[in-house]
Amino acid sequence: MNRKKWVRLDNASNIFLAAMTNTDTKVFRMSAELTDSVDPVLLQRALDEVYENYVLYHSVLRRGFFWYYLEESDLKPKVTADVLPPCAQVYHFDRRELLFRVFHNQNRIHLELFHALSDGTGALWFFEDLLKAYIMLRHPEAFAGLNAAAHDRLNHQLEDSFAHYFRKDKKQNFTDAAQSAIRSLAKVSQSAGKSHAQKGVAPDETKQKRKLRVHQFRGKKTPDNRPHVIELELPVKDVLALAREQQTSLTLYLAAVYMLAVRRASPNFQPGSALAVSVPVNLRQFFPSNSARNFFSTTRLIYTTDANGEADEIAAIGRTLKEQFQQQITPESLEDKLRTLIAFEYSPFTRMVFRPIKDFVLKLVNYVSNRNLTIAISNLGKVAFPEPIDGFIGKMYFHTSAVRPQFCAISHGDHLTVSFTSPFVESTIEEQFVRILTDAGVAVTVAANKVTSEDLEVEG
Amino acid sequence: MKHCPHCNATIKGDWEQCPLCQTTLDEATKPVLADPYPKIPLRFNKEIVWKYLTLMSFVLIIAFLLIELIWIGRMENLQLALFGIMSMWLSVLILIRKRRNIAKGIVYLIVSLSLLCIYLDYLSGWSGWSTTYAVPIICSFAIVSLYIAVRLVKLGVRDYVLYLLTAALLGLLPALFLTLDWVTNSLPSSLSVMMSAVTLVIILLYHGGEIWRELEKRMHV
Repeated sequence: MNRKKWVRLDNASNIFLAAMTNTDTKVFRMSAELTDSVDPVLLQRALDEVYENYVLYHSVLRRGFFWYYLEESDLKPKVTADVLPPCAQVYHFDRRELLFRVFHNQNRIHLELFHALSDGTGALWFFEDLLKAYIMLRHPEAFAGLNAAAHDRLNHQLEDSFAHYFRKDKKQNFTDAAQSAIRSLAKVSQSAGKSHAQKGVAPDETKQKRKLRVHQFRGKKTPDNRPHVIELELPVKDVLALAREQQTSLTLYLAAVYMLAVRRASPNFQPGSALAVSVPVNLRQFFPSNSARNFFSTTRLIYTTDANGEADEIAAIGRTLKEQFQQQITPESLEDKLRTLIAFEYSPFTRMVFRPIKDFVLKLVNYVSNRNLTIAISNLGKVAFPEPIDGFIGKMYFHTSAVRPQFCAISHGDHLTVSFTSPFVESTIEEQFVRILTDAGVAVTVAANKVTSEDLEVEG
Repeated sequence: MKHCPHCNATIKGDWEQCPLCQTTLDEATKPVLADPYPKIPLRFNKEIVWKYLTLMSFVLIIAFLLIELIWIGRMENLQLALFGIMSMWLSVLILIRKRRNIAKGIVYLIVSLSLLCIYLDYLSGWSGWSTTYAVPIICSFAIVSLYIAVRLVKLGVRDYVLYLLTAALLGLLPALFLTLDWVTNSLPSSLSVMMSAVTLVIILLYHGGEIWRELEKRMHV
């Protein structure tokens, strides 16, 4: 047997290992609802097919003295039934296991993935290809009837999405696929890394840091640390219309509703304290990269509530968030963020330090940044598949393990889904969120997982 | 489908009360929407663990005080009682953390705590309290806490029987202390040996076959 190939884990992904706890497993889940129930045998075949092409997914995570590293394995993924709590731990220290799992329940296919391997956008490429492969195996009749031109067009579309990820001329080898996005980017544009000397802190950022009391939602933790998932299905048009009415984007509109919901759901909310939301930004939109590894930056948006009480309205929150968001995604500030990431990745200091110490430092960093956040959101945007595949796929879902209340949104066709996760048993924030939307005339469908022994004991 | 009149939302699944606001839901109309989240039993329940341990601690403290006051008539060994209780807490917590590799967890626990005590004893000028009291107490309580943990984590017999066996065998070690005369008081060691022997007999009687099959599997060359 030839020697194993390995790539050390980049510093940016290291944070997920350091911040991983029993409650916040740093695992996220993507799901798709199909028109009919899932055939596990065909799903396994589709998975085998796609797995063959995605060498990054062959990785197992190992610990060294100085680094964690991703090592190519010859493990084969197995499709299973839905038997674990949502976002259950995927990576265990000292165990050689794949960093993702694929399973199914009724008519849903789920993919769960450890965040150190890839981010939402990267994982979506894999998931889309898995769904395409499965639909083509499950409904061969839909593809048989196509004429030659339509077939060509479909193949072309499939290849195109594939090309996002693979260079056409050669299949990626493991070390290229597992290389961090930062390093593969730096290889393309050497100049980006050179200028990190001029990095400065944004002026308003420092101003805001002065003695701002960020509100934290507290609740009763779930009895076995599983995340409490509450999943909303909404008609995308209606929500988009509401967002337009407030002259803001869908993501920021939902963030504003969420903030208001937190404020209403917190029994001892101190007027005047701030609500802070973390919104990740996919850096691939701004810097050309076809890496499937983590390549995102986060923005932190703050709304300081009215000290005198009641005056907080969605419109005002939305306006503030939009202003701040636009400031943080200007080319200059994003380049700044990228420079920080590059400097961090190449910093000689991080090379010399033992891994447990690095983990400890990152834990502290994570703790401090958690203290300054109320909620987090993530929107993967609109997903579309080429016809006739698209017709077999209904709603898509996306959620993540959470150390604080969080939601993830994704849309497909006419359906937007917003999935809340939180470490707490309470669902008051989600209740307020739903009521704000239903009061505005949006039809909402709710599903939730059961987290307490009382709910689980009910016959049914 | 079910509908919550308070949230004005459609609810999927078999909920009686709204999962958001706990209002009783309206009667279901024709197509009942399936629950996309299967009922997955709790892996453990932090609250129950907490209650159990607190209760046990109180019972132990009271029992020890009674024994000390009524039987022996002095209060010298209170630290030892506290040490025993702390070792119970630590044992259960490590067992739960290491629930995926309990063999490692137990060996780790018994060995590390025992060595720690022997070291403490050595530092304070070797009076033999570690071999007389600490190690036998740790061994005995490890068996007790393993019984508790196995119930709470809901393990199958095959998954824990070898570890219980390991713990029971380690609990026999104080017999060595007795024969080598490393003890000033033979009661704790005898107790540990007795508990281990009883446990051994019970598990060999009830789960002998399982043990054999497990050993065969794990020792497969």
